[in-house]
Amino acid sequence: MLGKAIYLIIVLALGTFLTRKVIPGIIVRIGRLMGFRMRATPITKKRLQRFKSIKRGYWSFLGISILFVISLFLEVIVNEKPLYIRYKNHTAYPAVRELAAKWFPFFNISTFTSKKDFGQGGTSGVDYKLFKACLEDSKNFDPMIERTRKRVQRAEKSLKRLKPPTKDSPKSKREFYLAKKAGLASRKKQLADLLEAKKAFEKGDAYILETLYPWSPSSRRKDLGKMAFHPPSLAKGVPLGTSSNGRDILTLLLYGFRISLSFALIVAGVGYLIGIIVGGLQGYYGGWVDILSQRFVEVWGSIPFLFMIMIIASMVTPTFLMLAILLILLRSWLGITFYIRGEFYREKSKDYVQAAIASGVSDWSIITKHILPNSLVPVVTFAPFGIVAFISSLVSLDFLGFGLPTGTPSWGSLIREGLDNIVLYPYLIITPVTALCITLFSVVMVGEAVREAFDPKVFSRLR
Amino acid sequence: MHGMMSYFLRRLLMVPITFILITLMVYAVFRKTPGGPIERAEMMLRQSQATEGGGGAAELTGGEGLTKEQKEQLLKHFHLDRSIPVGYLIWLGVWPNDSGHFSGILEGDFGRSYRYNDPVLSQIASKFPVSIYFGLIGYIASWIVCIPLGIFKALKHRSLFDTGTSFLVFLGYSIPGFVAALLLMLFFATDNYGMKIFPLGDFRSQNWNAMWEAGNYWWCIKDQISHTIIPLIAYMMASFAAMTILMKNSLLDNLGADYVRTAFAKGLPERRVIFLHALRNSLIPICVGIGNALGLIFAGSFLIEKTCNIDGMGLLGYNSLLERDYPILLGLLAIGVMLRLVGNILSDIILAWVDPRVRFQ
Repeated sequence: MLGKAIYLIIVLALGTFLTRKVIPGIIVRIGRLMGFRMRATPITKKRLQRFKSIKRGYWSFLGISILFVISLFLEVIVNEKPLYIRYKNHTAYPAVRELAAKWFPFFNISTFTSKKDFGQGGTSGVDYKLFKACLEDSKNFDPMIERTRKRVQRAEKSLKRLKPPTKDSPKSKREFYLAKKAGLASRKKQLADLLEAKKAFEKGDAYILETLYPWSPSSRRKDLGKMAFHPPSLAKGVPLGTSSNGRDILTLLLYGFRISLSFALIVAGVGYLIGIIVGGLQGYYGGWVDILSQRFVEVWGSIPFLFMIMIIASMVTPTFLMLAILLILLRSWLGITFYIRGEFYREKSKDYVQAAIASGVSDWSIITKHILPNSLVPVVTFAPFGIVAFISSLVSLDFLGFGLPTGTPSWGSLIREGLDNIVLYPYLIITPVTALCITLFSVVMVGEAVREAFDPKVFSRLR
Repeated sequence: MHGMMSYFLRRLLMVPITFILITLMVYAVFRKTPGGPIERAEMMLRQSQATEGGGGAAELTGGEGLTKEQKEQLLKHFHLDRSIPVGYLIWLGVWPNDSGHFSGILEGDFGRSYRYNDPVLSQIASKFPVSIYFGLIGYIASWIVCIPLGIFKALKHRSLFDTGTSFLVFLGYSIPGFVAALLLMLFFATDNYGMKIFPLGDFRSQNWNAMWEAGNYWWCIKDQISHTIIPLIAYMMASFAAMTILMKNSLLDNLGADYVRTAFAKGLPERRVIFLHALRNSLIPICVGIGNALGLIFAGSFLIEKTCNIDGMGLLGYNSLLERDYPILLGLLAIGVMLRLVGNILSDIILAWVDPRVRFQ
């Protein structure tokens, strides 16, 4: 228990440190590499100051971003696979490997650990829960040993019934006999391994370090028995219950948080980048480019995007990336173009830009160095509301069954499951809906604070 | 005025172009995808073979799915034997079909459903009243709630009431409508928390029509209302936050304007200044939304109708998607896009009409 508390504190502290110190530094570095000055102007400083002074927005921002940064390392925090496992001289780091496999998908990192190496006999993946149980009490080996012993006896019996082939019996018969013999030998070896393992475990020659919450969203809670639908119970160790196929809801929620938020961030980020480019070109060059592309944006914007995505998703099961690309193409880049176009239009006519044009600065530097830093206010004020919209879009699509493939931990599919079981299992609906509402509400709070700080409306009234 | 006329003409010209581009795109997508009427007929055939043990239908078709002639017949029936552009033009109604007639959406013929083989338009028409019932009532109800709330918030700007209701507004903004419906259903339509006041989903009770014919009008009205409230709140959630804030900000803008200052300076009573001068001008942005709401009212909502099991346009579209009933989907899309485009222009016309200062270029 103490170990877990320390673990949690370390995770939170590291997450906070990463979010507040490391990541801003990285962003500034990248910006400098791309040729931006990355130094706040007095106006921006004032705006940031104002944002920080709006407490509810600032704290929501910190909370959401720290949680998101931590969730990027979820595999070593909430995972069925242990951080570290050792048996005699075999060691493995399955959770760490899984995290690495997630982040570097092209390196083909294997997370497989064989039962053979960890004293469980057999060739399939290690049963970590059994490993842990055996560590706590080596009696847990007994059913396994008993099972293997029975198998050995059965193999022996069937081998006895066979007559040993002579030299002139057919080849197939000889091979069959040899195979049976080899089978018996391997069973015997397994039994010996198990007996040895039991002794080793009793001596303490094995060790397992589990993650903070040792369950995965991809597998069912076998410790709770065969039935699905376990209502929340702290005593049984399922704080939020299990879903209809016996998967732990807490893990689904946490992994779902990461998926929802990263989806929204990708869609908003890439979409706004395209929107800035298109809107900037429209506003800077004007003329035919402007008119034609504006008509195009108008036509494109009249497509009912949710309907279109559903049509496409009904034909092929979309992946995460495909859904993101669809939403970017059909929606997220459109709204911002109008505002960026307007900003560019306004800035271009100002003296400092005219001066830069007169002194022969290239279009590219004028756009990136002079106009762009001065016209990003709409992007900043719209981004949080965009994120809210894209999270809801993903949840809606998942809810309707046209979203991520089944088995992906997503809030929408949890909510759908809740609707299907609304009468009998109300806890199924409450948890994902609460998580969704809290997340969206905090993002809205951030958005409101940003708007207030960057674009304050001062109302003057006589009375 | 000349500039305005040409502006609206230009906008009107864009309508058919946009309409054709969108529907053509979707038509092409549908034609290119598997799951047309042939697959559908074969699947149904296989099912009937499975249930009848190889008798019946299998004998008719020689036991091996559809015959070649039957397939051709089906393709011909749905104009799937033509190329995509020609098929699209037939659907649009500017190209003669096999019998030499022009029969497309321009003539009011939306084709036939793959599922039921009855006209698409009659399918849509049968669901239409349900969606428009919720759309209209929801829209009117959100006016009734949002306009007074916005006015009050503007008049009491930065007071406790204002910040308190702002919290509500942000909550309304962050909770999607169907999620609100789910929560309401959980608390007030199931027995989990002992507060079962409303029925769990559906448009009205099963025996509603029978009761109506039996003359039990009072029961019918009560039943209808109790079925309406949860979806209605969900519908209102969508526009609640935006409309309230729009109303509040626009009234605040006007209260700070010079003409209001002048009116006060003349010594007019406060009530008169606010409700006769400022309010009238600040209602303009709200009125402009009417045009845009047209498409919304028509289309219903996939999510809310699915959640509350209301048999309207949204659920029709959802089921057609699951069943790959493309004629119905195309019909819904065509009507929806058309209404949205017309709605946008209508908004501009309303704006030009209520606000003579506006000049479109």
